[in-house]
Amino acid sequence: MEKETRLFEPGLFYVQAATLFRRIASLIHTAAARRASLIIHAMHERLSFHIKRNSALHRLNPLTKLTLVLGLVLISFLSPWYWTPHALLLIVIIPLSFVGKVNREFFRAFLRLILPAASFLFFMQAFFQPVGGTVIFKIWFLDITKESLLFAFRNAMRIAVMVSSFTLFLLTTHPSELMSDLTRRGLPGQFAYVIISTLQILPQMQAKAQTIIAAQRSRGLDTQSSFLRRMGSLGPLVGPLVFGSLVEVEERAIAIEARGFTSTQIKTSLYEISDTSLDRTIRWILILLVIITLLLKLWLS
Amino acid sequence: MRETAMQRQKTGSWLNIGSNFNTMTWVLIPVAIAINIAIGQIVVLLKLPVFLDSIGTVLVAVICGPWAGALTGALSNTIWGLAIDPNALPWWPVAFFIGLVAGLCANAGLFKSWWKVVVTGFLVALTAATISTPIAVYLFGGITASGSSFITAYLLQTGQGVLQAVFSTSFLVEPVDKITTCMLAFAIVQGLSKRFLARFPRPENVEAEGGANQTQLYIAVGVVVLLVLFAAFVLRNVLGG
Amino acid sequence: MAIVNLQDVTYKYPLTDSPALQNINLQVQEGEFVAVVGPNGAGKSTLCYTLAGFVPHFFKGELTGIVEILGKESHNSTLSEWVLNVGLAFQNPFNQISGAKYTVFEELAFGLENIGIPRDEMKTRVLDAMKLTGISDLAERSPYSLSGGQQQRVALTSILVMQPKVLVLDEPTSQMDPIGTREVFGVVRRMAERGMTVILVEHKVEWIAQFADRVIALKDGQIFLDGTPAEVLTSPLLQENGFGVSRYTSAARKAKAIGLWKKEELPVTLEEAVEGFSRANAGRVV
Repeated sequence: MEKETRLFEPGLFYVQAATLFRRIASLIHTAAARRASLIIHAMHERLSFHIKRNSALHRLNPLTKLTLVLGLVLISFLSPWYWTPHALLLIVIIPLSFVGKVNREFFRAFLRLILPAASFLFFMQAFFQPVGGTVIFKIWFLDITKESLLFAFRNAMRIAVMVSSFTLFLLTTHPSELMSDLTRRGLPGQFAYVIISTLQILPQMQAKAQTIIAAQRSRGLDTQSSFLRRMGSLGPLVGPLVFGSLVEVEERAIAIEARGFTSTQIKTSLYEISDTSLDRTIRWILILLVIITLLLKLWLS
Repeated sequence: MRETAMQRQKTGSWLNIGSNFNTMTWVLIPVAIAINIAIGQIVVLLKLPVFLDSIGTVLVAVICGPWAGALTGALSNTIWGLAIDPNALPWWPVAFFIGLVAGLCANAGLFKSWWKVVVTGFLVALTAATISTPIAVYLFGGITASGSSFITAYLLQTGQGVLQAVFSTSFLVEPVDKITTCMLAFAIVQGLSKRFLARFPRPENVEAEGGANQTQLYIAVGVVVLLVLFAAFVLRNVLGG
Repeated sequence: MAIVNLQDVTYKYPLTDSPALQNINLQVQEGEFVAVVGPNGAGKSTLCYTLAGFVPHFFKGELTGIVEILGKESHNSTLSEWVLNVGLAFQNPFNQISGAKYTVFEELAFGLENIGIPRDEMKTRVLDAMKLTGISDLAERSPYSLSGGQQQRVALTSILVMQPKVLVLDEPTSQMDPIGTREVFGVVRRMAERGMTVILVEHKVEWIAQFADRVIALKDGQIFLDGTPAEVLTSPLLQENGFGVSRYTSAARKAKAIGLWKKEELPVTLEEAVEGFSRANAGRVV
């Protein structure tokens, strides 16, 4: 079919697309908001995403686990073989979640966070990315091609690999441990401070925001009201949140200065993070695999 | 040890990454990241068609410096991606450059009055569009997990090249968001005491030069409205053509 | 030689016209427990910041005069060196939590990690300090899950663990409930009894009267009175100049004016008031 006949009127398309977009966006936004509060709530409860278990994965050095994540991501994005991300997810990541004894939490995160994100991407790409020519079926005004479906499937899987490996990493690594190890290897102490401080402030900020939203609701804030009114209510929500958080900055800066934050001494660490030969071997193997994948891609392209 | 602001600017300041960071900066950055995420979520709750997830980034960029802003942006995006929506992860370079450009504009004196802030916002939007386009194209083939991809999809149907389509979409969507972000950041800075701002590395970036009054604000809002109308006009033209 | 030596210290914050401190002359001997009282805006916090080195290093501004602790002048050393000798704790316990650590034990070790103390010594210092301030049972808790009084004790401990020679405390009990106040004062008193040089800014004059060696009254950035608690806290000049005085003092002062208080010295604490009033009443014929 020709392009001109498929689209009746540009204006009509815009209206149809906009309506569809509004409805889907609304669904996604609500789901996203709920998801976000679940995760930050979990963070608040457990102070971090990390779960303390005794497993081989937990015992690995943090840098090793980080290398694992980066290795998996790079391999899934670089590999010329189509089914790489799918294989990595099924053969590597999911079994590792059992090795790490965090399979229940992993699957919960997978269903709540990873699956929706990957599915949304799949949907967007399958339906709106004009790739290839073998039209399988049509919906409304959109052509769905086999190539689009394959393309979207692989991309969605790549994102799934990226996020699930990071999730696995976060579940089996305590942030303090990670930061201590990285600091020992040369990461400036200030970076470690910023990351952990952010992780601790986020749940507090979330709680503050909830309080302010509740207070504003009791004064007539309505998330269903007109666009202009919603825009207007942005001010009373953002103002107290921002200014309330900024006042702490000066005193906290004084407090950490009083504890030698700007000291130029070589920092020591309270805990010793082990780094065994197994760790080093795993890291080298991963680096090798990434290089091989890269070479394969270059050779085959 | 008691360096003045003048001396700092003479030492080729914009390349001097270290000058962006004192203890106040390090304590501000986590708060700014949390502000980014909190406001980004409030906007989702209010179902507004903007992101507004870079207000903290711009704030840090303006009162601490471009590199501090860049770091704030990159970390914000990464943490948002890991904790809330993984589809946000690959966009960390965009946030990085938002902070960098906002900071450079502020260093150049473009954050001292409402209309200058609008200009900064526009430049930041341009940067955001430019940096996000290659990422969208090479990682996702142009269609991302964002509503604006509908517009991209339509443009692609009309035969535009991928890069062009994605950039056009961004160019239509970003200015409103980034200009509003910069204006809100400016409003926040105006609400902070001079004494407090003096503790940060670059307080001189926000010394309002008498342009921070009501008339200028109305002019700036007017410019934004004009921009929105312009974008709508362009969109209608493109669709009609 | 005095451990703390301030001579002709005048300080002006940046962007202000009037100085926050004017011609401060203060010598403190090792082991002295000095209390500082004054109305709001008198410069008490500025004095604390000056002793702790934050003036001038953190706040910039114009500082003239000599600020010497243990023979070293503050403008000759960096802030990170200075804090090794002078510890500072202030009002808000929440803002003194670093945010970088997940348990109280780690929080206490934060400062020691920064200054490069070896691991074994770190653990010893933290355990000893926790025993000293009575927070050993809080070791594995998150600092954010504690009460105000507990948080303030953790803040104090995290300063003590750095083993400073001088302890500067800026109204540490202002935001505490009565239990928290008692806990914090308990720690301060214990440190003073062990010979630590303590400089404490406080409003609660009854407590100061009992435990301080010396009281300094500050007003408009200048030292107004400097003497023993009995001398300073019962001086009529205090009330005239807007200082908060102990209610026992003001009650006894009024009683003295109408002949009901027979003693020469006015009381500051409840015990002194009870003692004084009973003696006075013992002489009356009912």
